[in-house]
Amino acid sequence: MPRRREEEYDDEMEPEEDEDVEEEYEDEEEEYDGGKAGKKRRRSDFIDDLAEEDDEEEEEDDDDEDYGGGGGKRKAKKRSGSHFFELEAQVDTDEEEEEEEGEDVDFIVDTGAELPDEDDEGRRMHRRPLLHREEDQEDFEALERTIHERYGRREVEYDDEATEVEQQALLPSVRDPKLWMVKCAIGREREVAVCLMQKAIDKGPELQIRSVVALDHLKNYIYIEADKEAHVKEAIKGMRNIFASAKIMLVPIKEMTDVLSVESKAVDISRDTWVRMKTGTYKGDLAKVVDVDNVRQKVTLKLIPRIDLPALAAKLEGREVPKKKNKTFNPPPRFMNMDEARELHIRVERRRDPMTGDYFENIGGMMFKDGFLYKSFSMKSISTQNIQPTFDELEKFRQPSENGDGDVASLSTLFANRKKGHFMKGDRVIVVKGDLKNLKGWVEKVEEDTVHIKPNEKGLPATLAIGDRELCKYFEPGNHVKVVAGATEGATGMVVSVEGHVVNIVSDTTKELLRVFADNIVESSEVTTGVTRIGEYELHDLVQLDDMSFGVIIRVESEAFQVLKGVPEKPEVALVRLREIKFKLDRKNNGTQDRNGNRLSVKDVVKILEGPCKGKQGPVEHIYKGILFVYDRHHLEHAGFICAKAQSCVLVGGSRANVDRNGGSLHSKFTKFGAPPRAPLSPMRSPRGGPPVNSAGRFRGGRGHDNLVGAIIKIRMGPHKGCNGIVKEVKGNALRVELEAQMRIVTVNRDQITDNVNVSTPFREKSRFGMGSETPVHPSRTPLRPYMTPMRDPGATPVHDGMRTPMRDRAWNPYTPMSPPRDDWEDGNPASWGSSPQYQPGSPPSRTYEAPTPGYGDAGTPRDSNPAYANAPSPYLPSTPGGQPPMTPSSAYLPGTPGGQPMTPGSGGLDMMSPVVGGDNEGPWLLPDILVNVRRPGEDGDIGVVREVLPDGSCRVALGSSGSGETITVLPNEIEVVAPRKSDKIKIMGGTHRGATGKLIGIDGTDGIVKLDITFDVKILDLDILAKLPHVKE
Amino acid sequence: MFFHIVLERNMQLHPRHFGRDLRDKLVSKLMKDVEGTCSGRHGFVVAITGIESVGKGLIRDGTGFVTFPVKYLCVVFRPFKGEILEAVVTMVNKMGFFAEAGPVQIFVSNHLIPDDMEFQSGDVPNYTTSDGSVKIQKDSEVRLKIIGTRVDATEIFCIGTIKDDFLGVISDPGSTS
Repeated sequence: MPRRREEEYDDEMEPEEDEDVEEEYEDEEEEYDGGKAGKKRRRSDFIDDLAEEDDEEEEEDDDDEDYGGGGGKRKAKKRSGSHFFELEAQVDTDEEEEEEEGEDVDFIVDTGAELPDEDDEGRRMHRRPLLHREEDQEDFEALERTIHERYGRREVEYDDEATEVEQQALLPSVRDPKLWMVKCAIGREREVAVCLMQKAIDKGPELQIRSVVALDHLKNYIYIEADKEAHVKEAIKGMRNIFASAKIMLVPIKEMTDVLSVESKAVDISRDTWVRMKTGTYKGDLAKVVDVDNVRQKVTLKLIPRIDLPALAAKLEGREVPKKKNKTFNPPPRFMNMDEARELHIRVERRRDPMTGDYFENIGGMMFKDGFLYKSFSMKSISTQNIQPTFDELEKFRQPSENGDGDVASLSTLFANRKKGHFMKGDRVIVVKGDLKNLKGWVEKVEEDTVHIKPNEKGLPATLAIGDRELCKYFEPGNHVKVVAGATEGATGMVVSVEGHVVNIVSDTTKELLRVFADNIVESSEVTTGVTRIGEYELHDLVQLDDMSFGVIIRVESEAFQVLKGVPEKPEVALVRLREIKFKLDRKNNGTQDRNGNRLSVKDVVKILEGPCKGKQGPVEHIYKGILFVYDRHHLEHAGFICAKAQSCVLVGGSRANVDRNGGSLHSKFTKFGAPPRAPLSPMRSPRGGPPVNSAGRFRGGRGHDNLVGAIIKIRMGPHKGCNGIVKEVKGNALRVELEAQMRIVTVNRDQITDNVNVSTPFREKSRFGMGSETPVHPSRTPLRPYMTPMRDPGATPVHDGMRTPMRDRAWNPYTPMSPPRDDWEDGNPASWGSSPQYQPGSPPSRTYEAPTPGYGDAGTPRDSNPAYANAPSPYLPSTPGGQPPMTPSSAYLPGTPGGQPMTPGSGGLDMMSPVVGGDNEGPWLLPDILVNVRRPGEDGDIGVVREVLPDGSCRVALGSSGSGETITVLPNEIEVVAPRKSDKIKIMGGTHRGATGKLIGIDGTDGIVKLDITFDVKILDLDILAKLPHVKE
Repeated sequence: MFFHIVLERNMQLHPRHFGRDLRDKLVSKLMKDVEGTCSGRHGFVVAITGIESVGKGLIRDGTGFVTFPVKYLCVVFRPFKGEILEAVVTMVNKMGFFAEAGPVQIFVSNHLIPDDMEFQSGDVPNYTTSDGSVKIQKDSEVRLKIIGTRVDATEIFCIGTIKDDFLGVISDPGSTS
């Protein structure tokens, strides 16, 4: 053992620690004066070696404990143990507090005695840092001694300096023992080393190896130092974890030093640098360098103390402190309050530091100032690389000292964090040091350490070369920036204010204030939240989670999502990992109703009436299971998302689905009139319609069906790329789309379309559909509409529809070839009459039945046979005077099941159905007093005035323009309403004003402008529901 | 700042609009499409005031749509950095307040509110001077200076300041009502 130590020592010293060692020597000597037993130290030394060799103890703690000596000794040992640990940590940080207990050390007592004293020197230096923790074990005398040490240290000179030559001499030569590499089981390196150590202890000098080294970074091998291979073999004989068969390899002399040298970067620590502790109670804590002693490799740090005052008090009083089993307990960092300390009868001395002249409070050897602990550490126990102090930490540091370090983030920290290529050409910078301080400019060129900047000021050279440490990035309020490092990396925002090197920015997406270092941001025009997607999930997606809940992704973090769950009672945000998300919920398939029963779809603006977010308003982003996710840009939490029940919201400003896509006027007109204008048009509806019987009232329409049906989409891929069309049917992933430009229906894949519906093209399908469902009762009133108003059925908005419907009819109704305008088809396909003989002209039911299926069934329609109707704009009106039951049912039937009928023209089912529906049908179409044309076959048309509408639908009509002639009874299909002209008195036959009279004061296309007699309101109504009244003379 | 400028746009018109009033349709569609939109270069299109010219239409194969190049006169509103605006406060919170000047949303951070104004939480969150004489709350009208703008496809977002001479509250909802 002893021999090995020497070698080891050499190795260890080589890299750069000569200074270190010397200083330790000095400390050592003092220690001797103190008269501390050598034993203790030796012991620790020994362990030190072990640790350096590899921390074998860690795994062997238990074993070690078995060796543990008596309780009395322990305490002292502890301290020594801790010594070594600190040091060893420099080499290898694995051993932590657990080992500081020192229990593992005991067994070494015996062997340790042989250790040469010189070795101790290297281990002493960490004594001081640990004092505060170990105080309780110290007797007062010892305490005094340590204090003496501390203050005396500066006077001590180095006795022996290790010269370069001496160092050189320490390098291994051929005469020195060699290093052998031995293969062992993976993960058992340390165990093996400890076993060997045990063997060495047991066997003593018999075992001729010198040392064993297991390196953390080297798996599968350990190094054994020995003179001969045979010695190694002897030593490893019988070891479980060493493969006997494995070859023992010799490490070449030149490489021997490399095995044990620690790669250390040149550490550049300067005052005011932020560092982090690597070990000890303060491990991980941020500290500020207040003093650097490069010679001794020591730094004085300013820390927020973690001191357990009561324990300290007890310790100082020499009381026994109950040993806490749980050594991992760390007192929380807290500023030292001297008054508090005094209350606990802790002696607080106020002393002046001989070197700096500052006053410090001294408690038990620890120095405090302004509540901070000032303590000196070895440079090895702090990490200086990549220190990224958070703002919290920095704020804390600033807190108690009002005079402040001024700038929260000291420059040196910023510099320390800088990566290579920190400055880029074009960056705006400001000089922060030197004569040119506060000079602003732009980076022109970057060299190794110098940056050439183009100054802002006139009268200066075009470019100045300035060291990059004297520069800092510069931003002005209003700049749009992106964070490129730190906690908020990736976020973008606008600079609100600049405080030194700290920049406050307002995040673009969250509108939150972020504080970042100027160094961590770059100017950018990009707008992001940082990461916006992980896997297939993106920010603001609606997702299904593991536990069957669902929510909207409101934030994407580095590895997880923040999801606002679909719980309307209170906003609930969950942090969800990728694997916890089951799938993305498709936003298309959902629709719901608001409190008033209005249909809601995505993008509709709603107002929230109940719940925590009452009063908020915004567009619906997602709908799922009756839960809405509303986006309110004024809502700052949860990225503006609010979760609410659909039932506690109301639609504001109408649904987009209805209005936007429709062209509003269209919609309103329809609803007002209650006309089922499109009914005949919708043969293709069938797949969606409910059972026909449902028609009145119950038919809600749309629920449960794919919203896509009826949507106008654009095909973005495939052979029909670029074409617009209307979705007719959805079959799984395939859509049947009726092309706008060509008369055909094609099948496209769902992902081949863009479904952000072209808003500019009115969304007719939808509207028609909606209307039918929303006004289920009305349609019944206007069963014949399609027939009467050839212009009408194309969609009631002749302007729009003129172009379209014909195509559609054709497309859908193969039997009605080319019948764009309605009137056409009436005489246009006489041949078809024969095809449905059962619908004979004159039989109202059948006729009405046909009405719904105009495109298709015209063939069978009786009125086709009646040439008289052909030209008349509204041929059927006169014939439906009494709103005959048979007629109405069919009409009622129409809106609900528009598509059903056309498909089954001849089936008896229809006939049966219509009467049923007719039962709850509404009033007749025709009204008394209106002027009609009576056209009976074989006769010329006669003007007449309807006197009475009979229950069977026929009318009693008084012939003559003023109704003065004979009265005859005519069937509804034989009469037609006389279209009013401008200035005519009219009667309104449909809509909410049905029955009212008025004057037609103007005609606008198919709309009539009507001034009502009673209210003098001016209404715009469809001409078709206006009937001329006999002249006033009556 | 408002501008009255000529812009050009290619309008796609559905064939069904062809007819006598094609031009009217075109104009109404243009209004519908353009008014209220926002572009980074020109800002918000507030209103179309006239049509300068309608070019020759080009019929698209396949769809039958016709593309017309339309030049139109319109009023646009574009906030600029350094511009002084009057805006209505819409929301106040501890980070600052949001105000709106027409379609433009402006955020005034508490860093850009004079230091003597402090945030008061409560029923009506507001910023008040220590003597209580000036209060910024919802619906207050403030005069502010824009120090930064961010233009999205659909909105312009600005950062403003009232930490300057002659900026601040110009009318208080409390006092007027």
